[in-house]
Amino acid sequence: MNKSVDFSQPQRQSLPGILVMFANSLQKTVRALWPILLIWLVKFDTLNKLVFFGSVAGVVVLIGIISYLQYLFFKFHIDDENGEFVIQKGVLNKTRITIQLHKIQQVNINQSLIQRLVGVYKLEIDTAGSDKKEASISAISHDLATILKERLINSSQQDTNFNTENILEENTTSSFITIGLPSLIKIGFTSNYIKSFALIFVFFTTILENLQQLNTEVIDEDKVTNYLDTLPVITSFLLVIGFFIGLILVVNLVRTILKYFDFTIQKSKQAIILSYGLLSTKSTLLNPNKVQKIKITQNYFQKKLDVTTIGIHQASSDVEKVKEKDQIEVPGCTENERDAILKLLLGQLPQKGKMYLPNWRKLAVNSFFFLLLPIVITLFLNQITEFVTWKEWILYTSIFTVFTSILLWYSFKNYRLFVSNDFVIKQNGAWDIDTTIIEPYKIQAIEIQQFFWQKATNIGSVTLSTAGGTVSFTTGNYTEIKQLVNYWLYEVETWEKNWM
Amino acid sequence: MNEFTNNPIDIDQLPKFEEVQLKGLNPKYITVLLFNFSLLLILVIGGFSTLFYFKQEAFSNTIWITILVGIVLFLVGLIVFTKLSFHKKGYAFREHDAIYKSGLISETTTIIPFNRVQHVALHQGFISRKLGLASVELFTAGGSSSDLEIPGLLLADAQIIKNLVSQKINPPKQDEPIEIASTETRLTEEHE
Repeated sequence: MNKSVDFSQPQRQSLPGILVMFANSLQKTVRALWPILLIWLVKFDTLNKLVFFGSVAGVVVLIGIISYLQYLFFKFHIDDENGEFVIQKGVLNKTRITIQLHKIQQVNINQSLIQRLVGVYKLEIDTAGSDKKEASISAISHDLATILKERLINSSQQDTNFNTENILEENTTSSFITIGLPSLIKIGFTSNYIKSFALIFVFFTTILENLQQLNTEVIDEDKVTNYLDTLPVITSFLLVIGFFIGLILVVNLVRTILKYFDFTIQKSKQAIILSYGLLSTKSTLLNPNKVQKIKITQNYFQKKLDVTTIGIHQASSDVEKVKEKDQIEVPGCTENERDAILKLLLGQLPQKGKMYLPNWRKLAVNSFFFLLLPIVITLFLNQITEFVTWKEWILYTSIFTVFTSILLWYSFKNYRLFVSNDFVIKQNGAWDIDTTIIEPYKIQAIEIQQFFWQKATNIGSVTLSTAGGTVSFTTGNYTEIKQLVNYWLYEVETWEKNWM
Repeated sequence: MNEFTNNPIDIDQLPKFEEVQLKGLNPKYITVLLFNFSLLLILVIGGFSTLFYFKQEAFSNTIWITILVGIVLFLVGLIVFTKLSFHKKGYAFREHDAIYKSGLISETTTIIPFNRVQHVALHQGFISRKLGLASVELFTAGGSSSDLEIPGLLLADAQIIKNLVSQKINPPKQDEPIEIASTETRLTEEHE
């Protein structure tokens, strides 16, 4: 390593870090004092200007001093003797965070907008332990961050790999895959409709609520309704639908591009580095050994456009909480790129092996719960309240029936489990078809379940738990499932390979 | 390398988990189960009793009788359900994994291979301690959904099981006597 940096001595963050801390503290304060600020703004004219600006200036200066002190007391170093990474911080309440190097699971280098302006990076350390204390250094130069990252990651690998020195020297990262703008546009247009719809919905309702509270009439509701009333029903209906679809597409596109702009996968000797983002650049280090579950998602449009999304789930200590972070998404790769990534993560392309199908009763049960039951409930409700006329009810119900039947049929048709020696692959989904891949030796626990009425028909379910999430197959042939469980147990119990 | 073999595996010849004879839980555990329900029941009965005592005219006599019959039926149903579900619970330890089966309506079998167990804990609730019972919980890295708890074991059995599993996870060194480890855990791991 030509740039040898001594991490054994406690050192501070880079100096511009004060600004970052200042901005963070300011943001926190503003967020905490948000209601008061709002009241002040509304009553701005009646306020004593001197008191107002005086207190604002006072708070800003106070935050500045606190930030400087925080900077002064924040020190980090690597304790080689005990194999620990140590962070000391705190002005009044001293905190000392020690992380054992071999427990470090992932080191991320991120950059928010402010950090980008100042030219520093944030380094976050994820551990595998059950303790939830998290370590992060919020202002560090890029060079230093990269070196520290390599140091931390390599030390954490030491027990499995002894030639750390070589790795440091051969620190040549080669760009492996870059996802260009066209792929992102394709993905933006074809995925996450529901998520974006929810976002837009929340956005509009909050805006409307706020407008109503402030009693200002920026948009005249009556005007809009009047305008829509002048048009024929179908046209206005289509207009509203079209407007929303357009909005969803635009929001989707913008979100995808902002989040995943310039997505590159780099392969260094030990780990895989993903970096992406337009406004705030994120860089994530990924260790193939720690990948537990891979989920490939593709829908009909995406198939035609040759793009897929790959979700990579890593081992996480707290399944509920760290979900977001341990789940990395690679958006918009072509089939070739997908295969290359799979090869990189799994060492080989997964073979599908023997196919298992669910019992037809799965379709029947799903039809009962998602088709028949809603219809019966609306029938009863309408009987009591007469909310819509029966003609309309029949119209809506038939639309619903057709739509749901198609979805149910496809989700049943796509529901499959493939088992080969080295892989368990589950496929499901009606529109977005998910293919989940796990390796049997990464199974942590197996649960099989059967309702008493399923005994006669010999149906049951199985759930495989991994450290990155579960995979389950329901309403399958119970005898086959039990056979598979015996086989998986055999694999887990005999394979010497470490699951992480 | 002359020992190396790579014969194909016949899936039908693999040991079958479903044929393992499961061991039932200690019968005293029914008391624990019933006690857990009784708290709720006492609350319900107490509520109706106070209502009856202070404001008998709130319901007509027929409704009061219906409520009484309902509570009695519920109680009987609960006891029957508890007994039946108790008999459905069972566990077994094989050379390489732990099996626990439970459930009356939905029969669930959980299997955890020992080489995936992260650590073992021994729990004792208030009632369990009075009855000399304990439960053993096996933790894996798969999150709370894949942890396995075997309740209703005699404390001595639970301790044996815990030590057995700990030894499976970390095989003890030759020169280290095992007794010391077991007494240590006895002191530290007993909590509610």
